[in-house]
Amino acid sequence: MKMSVENQSIIEKLDLLGCIQCGRCTGGCPVTVRTNLNVRRFVYDAYQASLEDLMEELAQYSEIWDCTGCHTCAVRCPKGLKPVEVLYSLRNQIVESGKVEPTVRDALESVFLEGNPWGKPKATRFDWMEGLEVKTAEEGQEVEYLFYVCCSVAYDPKLQVVAQNMVKILEKAGVDYAFLGEEESCCGSEVQALGEEELFMEVQEENVELFSSYPAKKIVTLSPHCLSALKKYEGLEAEVIHYTQLLAELIDEGKLSWEGEFPKKVVYHDPCYLGKQNEVYDEPRQVLKSVPGIELTEFDRSRERSLCCEGGGGKMWVETESQQERLAETRARNAKELEAQVIVCACPFCILTLDDAVKAVGYEEEMEVMEITEILGKVL
Amino acid sequence: MGDVFVVIEHRQGEIRDVNWEMLNLASQVASDFGGEVVSVLLGSGVDDIADQLAGASSKVLYVDDPVLENFNADIYQKNLSALIDEHKPTIVMIGHTAQGVDVAPALAVEKDLPYLTDVIELRGEGGKPVAVRQYYQGKVNAEFSFADADTYILTIREAALEPIEPAQKGSVEKVEAPAKEEAEHRKFVEYVEAEIGDVDITQSEMLIGVGRGVREDKNMPMIEELAQVFEADLCGSRAAVDAGWLPHDRQVGTSGKSVKPKLYFAVGISGAFQHLAGIKGAKTVVAVNKDPNAPIFAEADYGIVDDLFKVVPKLVEELKEE
Ligand SMILES: Cc1cc2nc3c(=O)[nH]c(=O)nc-3n(C[C@H](O)[C@H](O)[C@H](O)COP(=O)(O)OP(=O)(O)OC[C@H]3O[C@@H](n4cnc5c(N)ncnc54)[C@H](O)[C@@H]3O)c2cc1C
Repeated sequence: MKMSVENQSIIEKLDLLGCIQCGRCTGGCPVTVRTNLNVRRFVYDAYQASLEDLMEELAQYSEIWDCTGCHTCAVRCPKGLKPVEVLYSLRNQIVESGKVEPTVRDALESVFLEGNPWGKPKATRFDWMEGLEVKTAEEGQEVEYLFYVCCSVAYDPKLQVVAQNMVKILEKAGVDYAFLGEEESCCGSEVQALGEEELFMEVQEENVELFSSYPAKKIVTLSPHCLSALKKYEGLEAEVIHYTQLLAELIDEGKLSWEGEFPKKVVYHDPCYLGKQNEVYDEPRQVLKSVPGIELTEFDRSRERSLCCEGGGGKMWVETESQQERLAETRARNAKELEAQVIVCACPFCILTLDDAVKAVGYEEEMEVMEITEILGKVL
Repeated sequence: MGDVFVVIEHRQGEIRDVNWEMLNLASQVASDFGGEVVSVLLGSGVDDIADQLAGASSKVLYVDDPVLENFNADIYQKNLSALIDEHKPTIVMIGHTAQGVDVAPALAVEKDLPYLTDVIELRGEGGKPVAVRQYYQGKVNAEFSFADADTYILTIREAALEPIEPAQKGSVEKVEAPAKEEAEHRKFVEYVEAEIGDVDITQSEMLIGVGRGVREDKNMPMIEELAQVFEADLCGSRAAVDAGWLPHDRQVGTSGKSVKPKLYFAVGISGAFQHLAGIKGAKTVVAVNKDPNAPIFAEADYGIVDDLFKVVPKLVEELKEE
């Protein structure tokens, strides 16, 4: 048997020899109700294949694109492995060979050229600031909190309100903050999920350099996807946190409180990238509970058992064909059973998936999908 | 001297659109250089194509040899190089396509000739070319002049120019292949046809985009009728595909397809960012939506703010009368 060097490194890098094939990964994988993806099988096959140089063949299975990157498999693995990364490695084989969907190709190319996956010009990244007084970072001058706006929040008109409200909240709290100038560019979270590891490395290197010119005690991300990506960066000195962590602290210290009321029954949806991947479960709830009048209820599947919305793992650019309803629609039905008027969330991708789902199941009239900052914007 | 060579790109017996566009440009500028339009066709058993080209050029220079059966950049380069030496054209136009940019730069380097890519405009001044290409993703048009040379090589952007209407009867000259040997490093392996459904919406010229506003499957016949009178293909938002009104391969957007029709007619589509990303290439966008604040109107050239169930039947009626 011949063991290729490249594949051997996958066994080592992902510690595939540690897998005991218990199947907890597939057992918990949320997309199995919609597709044939069996991640345990891929871990097994990748190990076998790497011995026989069959990785390329494995990469041909279309299911590798069904993974939403939620990391439930990694959370459940008793051996501490990350089965999801086997799928990302297989995607990497496809990306390397250049045989990707045009949508994926375009998104990756746009990150390379314009610093965002949406095909938007770099120069309009800060259009969301229009009409707002926003403090922007100055080179070499340290701030306490440097804000990192996600590409989706910066460009999608539906999501820009997250950044806009954030500015208002920060002004109210009177903290030392700054947003990055036009130089901010994609964090690479979805680039990595789409298997373009080399581009991710490049993005990482550029961003680490950028952050070194704009020193901060903490880097605060608006999206959990950026949080996950930035936390992986090698050589990044500042601590990286999600905005809900900062707000919870400010509220706790009495530096932030609310004028208005939000008398609605809301249910909080844990984003996978915030919860499962970064164990931020309590802070978003703390922030919500601080809002006068709010009634916060919980999904049966919450915290580490939270049902993935299917927005991550590069799925924004790859569709899963399935006869089964989308997980976000299941989520909307669960919310209705709880008689929630609002599904509230702390991730731009979840907002998109859930909002679409609420319309798809016909609850548009009675149920809203809101980002936490949208609620805060109403009680400022 | 003075002639404009148009290197013809063909595949499996079909002439690509860019050739007709290049021929149109060539016919407009040939007199600036004091020469004629010459289609340069390399292939094997492509008499048909040569005949078609004769209708749109003064002359077709036609090399027929089995070695040229399938496109191979190395073999093309050798043959083009020899033809340039022999005929000394002033301009050599090659499509700015995957094939074209495989040959053109190597050819220019080999012959040490001035070379400009992705050209969208061209004229001759004092027998020399002046060409326009774009910068910064199309935000700036830059004009280029060239160092003195006998021949200039240009690749021409696809779909940027009008195609020529064939209207003449040029001569066809069949010549021996100047270079017949197989390429050393490159080999043709096989054609892999792109997988497509019954309609490839990325190629459609007229598209009706269906959105959630259409509400129910039973309303689709009304939309199909609209598509018929428009001679358009149907596509839609993710919402319409999820609802099962359209097959998966008709989805437009970030996780669907990018389309570039002349007309995109959006019916009951709100214009989410993820959808709009797929219609950036549309020339004209028309939207029907009852919500005046729907984001689709920001993208639309023409908007109708009204109930689609009133608008669509009226449109069908009007168009049918015409
Ligand atoms: C991961 C991910 C990937 C996605 N990828 C894509 C994608 O590739 N393509 C895509 O399209 N979307 C995509 N989306 C979904 C996208 O965010 C939107 O939810 C979707 O495009 C909305 O579709 P729609 O416009 O048909 O529906 P809606 O947003 O619900 O809009 C319906 C519109 O119809 C109008 N309307 C209703 N009734 C009438 C009437 N009687 N007359 C006139 N107008 C009426 C309404 O005013 C409304 O504007 C994606 C979302 C996610 C989360």
